[in-house]
Amino acid sequence: MKKGKIVMIVTIGIVCFILALVMSMQFKVVQETDITSIETMREAELRSELSNWKQKYEEINEKYEETSKKVQEYKEKKQSDNETSTLLQEELEQINMGLGNTNVQGEGIEITLTDTEDNKIYADNLLIIVNSLRLAGAEAISINEERIVNMTDIVYITEKFVKVNGQRILAPYVIKAIGNQTYLESALLGNGGYVDELKISGYDVKIKKDKNIKILKYNDEISSKYINN
Amino acid sequence: MNKKVVCLILGIMCLILTYGICVQIKTVNSTNSPISTNNEENNLRNEVLKAKEKYDNKYQELEQAEKQLEEERKNATENNTELSNLEDQIKNKNKLLGLTEVTGQGVIITLTDSPTSMSSNFLDLNDALVHDMDILMVVNELKNAGAEAISVNDQRIMPTTAIDCDGNIIKVNGEKIGPEFEIKAIGLPERFVTLDRPGGYLYKLREWGIVTSLEKSNNITIPKYSGVINFKYAQNEK
Repeated sequence: MKKGKIVMIVTIGIVCFILALVMSMQFKVVQETDITSIETMREAELRSELSNWKQKYEEINEKYEETSKKVQEYKEKKQSDNETSTLLQEELEQINMGLGNTNVQGEGIEITLTDTEDNKIYADNLLIIVNSLRLAGAEAISINEERIVNMTDIVYITEKFVKVNGQRILAPYVIKAIGNQTYLESALLGNGGYVDELKISGYDVKIKKDKNIKILKYNDEISSKYINN
Repeated sequence: MNKKVVCLILGIMCLILTYGICVQIKTVNSTNSPISTNNEENNLRNEVLKAKEKYDNKYQELEQAEKQLEEERKNATENNTELSNLEDQIKNKNKLLGLTEVTGQGVIITLTDSPTSMSSNFLDLNDALVHDMDILMVVNELKNAGAEAISVNDQRIMPTTAIDCDGNIIKVNGEKIGPEFEIKAIGLPERFVTLDRPGGYLYKLREWGIVTSLEKSNNITIPKYSGVINFKYAQNEK
């Protein structure tokens, strides 16, 4: 009787051990499954992936044509310094626009955030709104006329001030963004949009669409000290 | 009596184990089935691969055209200091904008999901994973510390870069990236080290169980942006 019991316990122990092993192996498999791999995608995902690649092809094809055209122009005009200079200036202007070193205008939205007694706006709120606007395809953004450029930081120094580009700014915060008005607005107001969330929590946020938003350039020269030549 | 209790406990244990195994098998089946039985899905998969290949080919052509452009630009300006000055400016600004690969000194920060997430923190899994917001905050702190170029898993941070998530997948520049997350920044390494200060964001992440590391390096390479900058709505003011 007693011997039988021990055998039983040992058997059960071994079985449990094996089961536990199998389970942990399973967990590992699940963890290691590459979620970004095309092999594991379902139909809907595949469709969006397909249109994604097609769209990217279109963009890059356009860029290719543009670049080839420029190559051609440089070849044709290299005899004349004047014409070459114009070409260079054109390229520079485009790059400066990308960097945020030019004043720009276009359709977009304007968001006004005002501090209330219970709900103060912090740097993180602004950072998340800027990120949402970028996601919706914003082409230029400013906060209280401080242009948001590539290396712009949005931080708070004390609980009182927000610093953008190293400049102190104060509430109310006016964020301007140029891009498709509808996309920009719905990214903030749509289901789960960040401004929606803020409003539900009692923040004072207003959004205004505008056909002609003007955004000032970043005033300093953007330069580098640590990037190798 | 005693025997009955033992049997009952064993019965319940077996039931739980069986249930666990069933759940596991189901999960594995739904996530990892390379051989799809669905014909249409296979066709789609092929199409996606073809579209990707087409894109890759064009991308290579574009890179060649860009090299050519650089050469022609150089050819056209080499005999005139004023012009070669402009050419220099174009080159430098393209680096700052993110259109060319850059190298320099800086730091590499890695963020890894908590390794204990499967056992001790089972109920609070969310805390132990790296989120899009975490990456956004770390990137912002790097900018604050004077970064001149940043990439996240080789996606260059651009003026238009958004960091978001689609379900549980993080996307940067619209491209999916997975753990572990490697954030590289070029700038003065001594300033970046302040990110590791007590109370800083990396410190908070560690408190939540996320594994972080910060390494100084004299030789960091940050790739160029693989997308296209395209202004559709903004125009230069006249």
